[in-house]
Amino acid sequence: MTDPISVLTLFLFNIIVYNIPLLYGTVGEILTEKSGSLNLGVEGTMAVGAMFGYLAGSLSNSMLLGLLVSMVAAGLCGLLFSVLTVTLQANQNVTGLTITTFGLGLYFFIGKGMGANWPAMQDSPSLVNGFAPVEIPGLSAIPVVGKALFSHSGMVYLAIVIAVAVWWYLKYTKVGLRLRAIGENPGAADSVGVNIVLYKYIHLIAGSAIMGLGGFYMALNMGGSFEGSNCWVNGYGWIAVALVIFANWNAVAAILGTLVFGFFNTLQVYSGSLASAFPEGLGWLSAVPPHLYMALPFLITAIVLVVSSIRNKRESSGQPSALGTNYFREDR
Amino acid sequence: MKRKEPLFRVVKREGGSPVRLALSYVVAVVLALCIGALLLAMQGVPVMQFYQDMFTMGMVGSRYPFRVLEGFIRLFVPLLITSMALSLAFRMRFWNIGGEGQFIMGAICAGIAAFQLGNTLPQPVMLLVIAACGILGGGAYGLIVAALKVRFGTNETLLTLMLNYIALYLLEFLGETKADWNFMLSEQSARPVFAQFPEAADMILFTIGPFQLNLSLIIALVLCVLVFVYLKYTKQGYEIAVVGDSPNTAHYAGIKVGRVVIRTIFLSAALIGLAGAFYVSSAGTLSTSVTNDVGWTGIVVAWLAKLNTVGILIVSLLITVLQYGCQAAGTAYPSIDANFADMLQGIILFVVLAADFFIRFRVVIRGKEAVK
Repeated sequence: MTDPISVLTLFLFNIIVYNIPLLYGTVGEILTEKSGSLNLGVEGTMAVGAMFGYLAGSLSNSMLLGLLVSMVAAGLCGLLFSVLTVTLQANQNVTGLTITTFGLGLYFFIGKGMGANWPAMQDSPSLVNGFAPVEIPGLSAIPVVGKALFSHSGMVYLAIVIAVAVWWYLKYTKVGLRLRAIGENPGAADSVGVNIVLYKYIHLIAGSAIMGLGGFYMALNMGGSFEGSNCWVNGYGWIAVALVIFANWNAVAAILGTLVFGFFNTLQVYSGSLASAFPEGLGWLSAVPPHLYMALPFLITAIVLVVSSIRNKRESSGQPSALGTNYFREDR
Repeated sequence: MKRKEPLFRVVKREGGSPVRLALSYVVAVVLALCIGALLLAMQGVPVMQFYQDMFTMGMVGSRYPFRVLEGFIRLFVPLLITSMALSLAFRMRFWNIGGEGQFIMGAICAGIAAFQLGNTLPQPVMLLVIAACGILGGGAYGLIVAALKVRFGTNETLLTLMLNYIALYLLEFLGETKADWNFMLSEQSARPVFAQFPEAADMILFTIGPFQLNLSLIIALVLCVLVFVYLKYTKQGYEIAVVGDSPNTAHYAGIKVGRVVIRTIFLSAALIGLAGAFYVSSAGTLSTSVTNDVGWTGIVVAWLAKLNTVGILIVSLLITVLQYGCQAAGTAYPSIDANFADMLQGIILFVVLAADFFIRFRVVIRGKEAVK
């Protein structure tokens, strides 16, 4: 019989450990969508960032290079998306979906192509150490909470810093304000002299680069072991698209949303052990099928989408008005 | 006052150009194959041999070439019907990316009918019932979104995306939960697996010499003709075109836009549900990977074909060759599988999307043409 407190602690700890990539994906997509572009290529972008970042990091034994390459590789996906949709006016939905198809195809092609030459994570101490938990002095000694919140890898804290930074950037800087204006009404933004093409390129690429970091995190969290059948990203990119809506396009709310979605994600794995650790209170958990937990993020998001459209409060919704439409100046 | 003119500007082109269009496809396919060849060569795979196996789908030298063709048809029919159905929605700029979910719902409803009715009905009647269930299952799933979109303006792209996953997890729940109520699973197996359909629910196959022709192929081709006629020669088809062009124009012309949207999306989703029913009936069972990503690939096909019905027939044929052929050719090489086809497909679409720009627009260099 395991100690109930340690089961609970591990459960709370894993909510964060396994779901931080969602935060990276979501914050990247918020930055993208605030510019008025709907990029459905999150899954593929994260996969590309994961694959190239991990290979670069482990082959060169450098955490820093891994981080950098994952951002550059994913950023290139963002560049591709920008060239096609901003400059060449291609449909955003189709382009995004194709980035996902292509990205996953590339991920498996390279992974399988490496075959026996696949680098193991243990062979590159820089990655192992770079990803090792950082105990925050003092705070990490608090029982339960200390382990659950304050003894994580540096990349966990980085995700939170990025989320807060993006929130602040969008809300309080002049550039962020202009970006939001483009997402709401590109014609109006253009008429006051905002360089729409430049703004879109920069933020679409930056958004994708952030997604790439999420992919890199997943690779490391999986211990860098490549499986031929399952991608590391494993649907997290799609949950991130849902989470953007749930968080109402607010990067700080996305931190909270990650915890909510992560709670269900982790419950799917931990419902059995939680039920046996707390038989009186949580015994019913083991009767709930795991598929419900997997479907819940999408179910909740669908309900949020429908309810917010019924209430139709434009002021409180963070959804950019021009989301998903291309801007062609001569149509203005 | 002299205005500063930009170095170049972009203007819309009048009318289409079939030559440019055809050229863009040739360039796309050739470029994709070249990049693919490069990647294959880097992995030490003999390129020409691989491509030959891919385009012949491994039929040359196979002892059972007709089996290959039958497998090909089983993949081709769902893709053809789904792409065609999606193009109906896309024509109205209704971004139904819920093909996966509608396909699954059609398959589940068809499966329920097959398991519940067993062998009580003769095969043709049974197949009609299954098809009707598929149509209703898929159609209802699409109808929800269309009604919400018309009534409340709910974002259909995001909602259909969410519904895809809800349907997928419902299917996995049905396929992986052993329980007394779950009549869909095999009773012999201790591990949860979907049971085989009763024989009456299997798709009719016409035996022509060594080849067995799947009835659903004929129906799919007939549907192609019907959709073509529907879009081109009926009042409803015309309404779709007007609404797609401009909902405001349609409104002023007295067309009830909401009704057209709901009707067309139901039709689109129902056809996808039908494709799901056909697929499970041909396979003789359900499975958690029942869609083969047809809902996603269908979007690619519809877009590559510019939503043109004849084009969809050709493109879905090519894409199926690419995917099925890749699996066949990849059997000899452990590192290559269907993902290689996804990659080629991605490259082709990227090039076509890019080339599209030069078909729809032209670039005017400063000073070459007066600003009107």
